[in-house]
Amino acid sequence: MAEVTEEWQPKIVMFCCNWCSYGGADSAGMGRFQQPPTVRVIRVMCSGRMDPVFILNAFLEGADGVIFSGCHIGDCHYVNGNYKATVKYKFLKAMVNELGLEDERLKLDWISASEGERYAEVVTEFTEQIKKVGPSPLKPEGVI
Amino acid sequence: MEVGDCYIGWATDEDIRTRGASGGLVTAMLAAALEKGLVEAVVVLKKLGEFEAVPVVTSDPEEVKAAAGSMHSVPIVLSRYLDYGTKVALPAKPCDARSTIEQAKRGQVDIDTTYIVGLNCGGTMHPAVTRDMLDVMYKLDPADIEGEEIDKGKLIFETKDGKEHAIKIDELEEEGYGRRESCQYCDVNIPTMADIACGNWGVIGDLAGKGTFVEINTEKGIEILKNAIDAGAVEITPADDKGKAIRAKVDGAMMNVAAAANKKYLSPIEGSHLDYYMNALSDCINCGACKTVCPVCACGEGAKCTDFSSASDTYKMSLFHLVRFVHLMDSCIGCGQCTDVCPVDIPLTHIYQRFAVPMQEEFEYKPGMDMTTPPFFGVDLIEEGH
Repeated sequence: MAEVTEEWQPKIVMFCCNWCSYGGADSAGMGRFQQPPTVRVIRVMCSGRMDPVFILNAFLEGADGVIFSGCHIGDCHYVNGNYKATVKYKFLKAMVNELGLEDERLKLDWISASEGERYAEVVTEFTEQIKKVGPSPLKPEGVI
Repeated sequence: MEVGDCYIGWATDEDIRTRGASGGLVTAMLAAALEKGLVEAVVVLKKLGEFEAVPVVTSDPEEVKAAAGSMHSVPIVLSRYLDYGTKVALPAKPCDARSTIEQAKRGQVDIDTTYIVGLNCGGTMHPAVTRDMLDVMYKLDPADIEGEEIDKGKLIFETKDGKEHAIKIDELEEEGYGRRESCQYCDVNIPTMADIACGNWGVIGDLAGKGTFVEINTEKGIEILKNAIDAGAVEITPADDKGKAIRAKVDGAMMNVAAAANKKYLSPIEGSHLDYYMNALSDCINCGACKTVCPVCACGEGAKCTDFSSASDTYKMSLFHLVRFVHLMDSCIGCGQCTDVCPVDIPLTHIYQRFAVPMQEEFEYKPGMDMTTPPFFGVDLIEEGH
């Protein structure tokens, strides 16, 4: 496990849906809401597209935390994609817990395109959480 | 004849009755289904030796009759053998039946054309382990064995010179022999999910050893039994309440033993879970045998677990297994085949069950028991009122 220093910044992978959360990230930027530079955003068309394999791969490639986010329940651009995301989240959460990864490392949140401030809040909060639990034990050697 | 009725039946053919187990009802029923054209194919076990058999698909009633006699084999992936929609009758242990139903939910098997003839099962044994056990525990030469039997908690082997050698199953299992690990904790002994459930439990009095107890579970079950009666291949008599009670008692006793084994088997991991899993999976050579034999996997070639992972990507843990952990959470029936085939002896079934059982308990869902509950990743959420 890498040594935790004051300067250590976690690496977080965030999957945003094209229609809401990715827009939310845009609004956060346009509204100049301050947020830590820890998040790498990957755009997917819908939170329902989130495959467990993406999340597991992110952890294996060295992510300290993974967020996936989509439209609020009821607002999905594809009618029910975010319900499907909740089912997968439930399974993934149980799986990640049994695996022995900390509960804080995986998060599902709903952020709409107009919620720039909320986007910044979620990112800040999650970064703080990850800083508390430290680097992921699944991080390969040599990855910072 | 109605769903839920219980009968005791036997084959009319003298030869089948003597060679087959418990009156040869199942053999006669399968052969009659083929002869009368109810099905196009039947899956039977072809003996390779005293301890081994392979499932084969046949359309020849003579071959079905030749396969009379009980034999335990591992659960099979029916969809690999047959085209979708083939009319087939399948003698099935509870795990066979459950895997077939899970395959049907995933569109691999047409449940309407598949007649599942369930067989009671108290556990199976691994051929290689059995040979080893004969050598170490019984001090017998595997080549001398003529028959095996389980009676009153003892595993009995009969040698060619007519002598019987018995050792208690509990004793064998303590030494790491006996039934396969997955069979020790399996709590489905009577295949209530099959169309018709057959077995020797509950056959009492004069018929003991000469008849098969039959419980009809579905309309298809009535169809296949009626077909055999009409063909004159089997005779039945209604089962009495005493027989039913005894059958339930045997089942209950087996379930208690299984529950105790399960508790031991899935006892909490000491220390770090992550270390435990990393350690267990570090031997994995990415051969994919566990996926190939998995009876509930319906992905075929080009599955996510194989296509997205390679040994070179496996930094700290195998992505292949991580994907399969999630994937099997709603479908793992704990049949134990992945452990059997693993060339580096990873206790895979054990590990998969650790992920699957808590989730299945949370959803109050047991995979393969009926067609009504869908696989959860395919759940239709609109119907739930959202």
